[in-house]
Amino acid sequence: MTAASGQLVVVRALGLITVQDLGRPGHMHEAVPPGGALAIERLVAANRAVRNPNGAPAIEVLGQLIVRAVHAVEVATDQHGTRTLAAGEDFTVTSEPNRVAYLALRGGIDAPLVLGGRGALLCAGIGGLVRAGQTFDAADLDAKNAKPAPVHAPNSAIRLVAGPDREAFLPEALERLTSSDYKISPSSNRVGTRLDGPPLLRSDAPEISRPMVIGAIEVPRDGTPIVLGPEHPTTGGYPIIAVVARAELGRLFSIRIGGAVRFTVAATTTPATAETRRRARARR
Amino acid sequence: MADWTPLGDRAIRFARPERSARAIVHAVRAWPGVVDVVVARGEVAAYFSAAIDRRRARAIDDAIRALASAPDDPAPVHEHVLRARYDGPDLAEVARALAMPVDEVCTRHAAAIYTVETMGFAPGFAYLSGLDPALELPRRATPRTRVASGAIAIAGRQTAVYPFDSPGGWHWIGAVIDAAMFGADGPLLQLGDRVRFARCGVR
Repeated sequence: MTAASGQLVVVRALGLITVQDLGRPGHMHEAVPPGGALAIERLVAANRAVRNPNGAPAIEVLGQLIVRAVHAVEVATDQHGTRTLAAGEDFTVTSEPNRVAYLALRGGIDAPLVLGGRGALLCAGIGGLVRAGQTFDAADLDAKNAKPAPVHAPNSAIRLVAGPDREAFLPEALERLTSSDYKISPSSNRVGTRLDGPPLLRSDAPEISRPMVIGAIEVPRDGTPIVLGPEHPTTGGYPIIAVVARAELGRLFSIRIGGAVRFTVAATTTPATAETRRRARARR
Repeated sequence: MADWTPLGDRAIRFARPERSARAIVHAVRAWPGVVDVVVARGEVAAYFSAAIDRRRARAIDDAIRALASAPDDPAPVHEHVLRARYDGPDLAEVARALAMPVDEVCTRHAAAIYTVETMGFAPGFAYLSGLDPALELPRRATPRTRVASGAIAIAGRQTAVYPFDSPGGWHWIGAVIDAAMFGADGPLLQLGDRVRFARCGVR
């Protein structure tokens, strides 16, 4: 450890602010969701800007965070690159114009390793919300050859894999999801991102508790789609109309509250393969 | 014939073979590229570290077929005795609905040996099978907005201990005493574990 007294002290924390890394995969059979950063590519960009390994713990900001440097320290955000703060200098990180921003500290945020991860998993009581007065030390992680990783955020439609619970919806529901404008609802968090827009009407299929996945678009009876986030329950009874492609999650979760989103169904080899086999069997 | 459906581009879902959740988790976690497994009552999901290509798709067919004869996890099954106080806010209502004295509800609940059948809903939440059929009730008509961590609850033919404060639709009949249901090493109860409740205190 490079400093015992803390390198950053939190002056002000407004919103949902936590330490995050790449999560803790490997525990879903214990009903522990994967967790991790909402926008992995932004976490990586902030880390690389201060020569940290991609998955070093950093501070995820949904809202606004003001930190003060206790000693001179090198920090970076995904949006604004590297900054060297003088001792006593304040630094403000605002997620605007996106929903989420990352503050990386040279060496990585020093956080305890719990179940294979160092980030907060609020639903499991691991870590907690960042609060004013809290201090952060730097770890001594280093990636000498880290190349910059600019975040490309094209404004195109978010790609989905259709299903698996199409039978639980009226036939026009998927068409409605991919042809309408939705807005990111203010009642969104790390468990789920709610979408305001045309409701997706369900059939009378019963609710069965089934395995869930990050990016699943689950739909309660009222038709409001919810995109599951890193802290999603591992099982749930709401049917899934489609699942966001993994590479698109960071882009979707970066859209600011109230911002518009459109979806499109991606052509992937996997559904085609499964579908082809089903058809082949039907012909036999 | 094995069959599965994509659950996004890095996971698949398939019908649960007639094996214990423990055996399924042990077998599927050994598949190449698998990072996670969830076993629900009727379905299994396998989560991969990368997108599923055609070659992997073919291997999955064979692997699912092989699950029907998967051996059990060789790791030992743990047995837990949880000290329990039967004083939950729904206890009187449960006794009324079952037309049974309150004391009999507690005695019957504490007499059974339970098995962790599946895990889901919340981190470390274990669905325990083995509830006395005489205690079977549908879920509460209106779920509670908050059930305390450590709460013992019943619904259908199952019982559970809530590891964290959370909303809940089960009947809250008691609480465990001095048991950390979710510690630094993760959940106390694991798939396949056996659980007994030891009745303590006045009730």
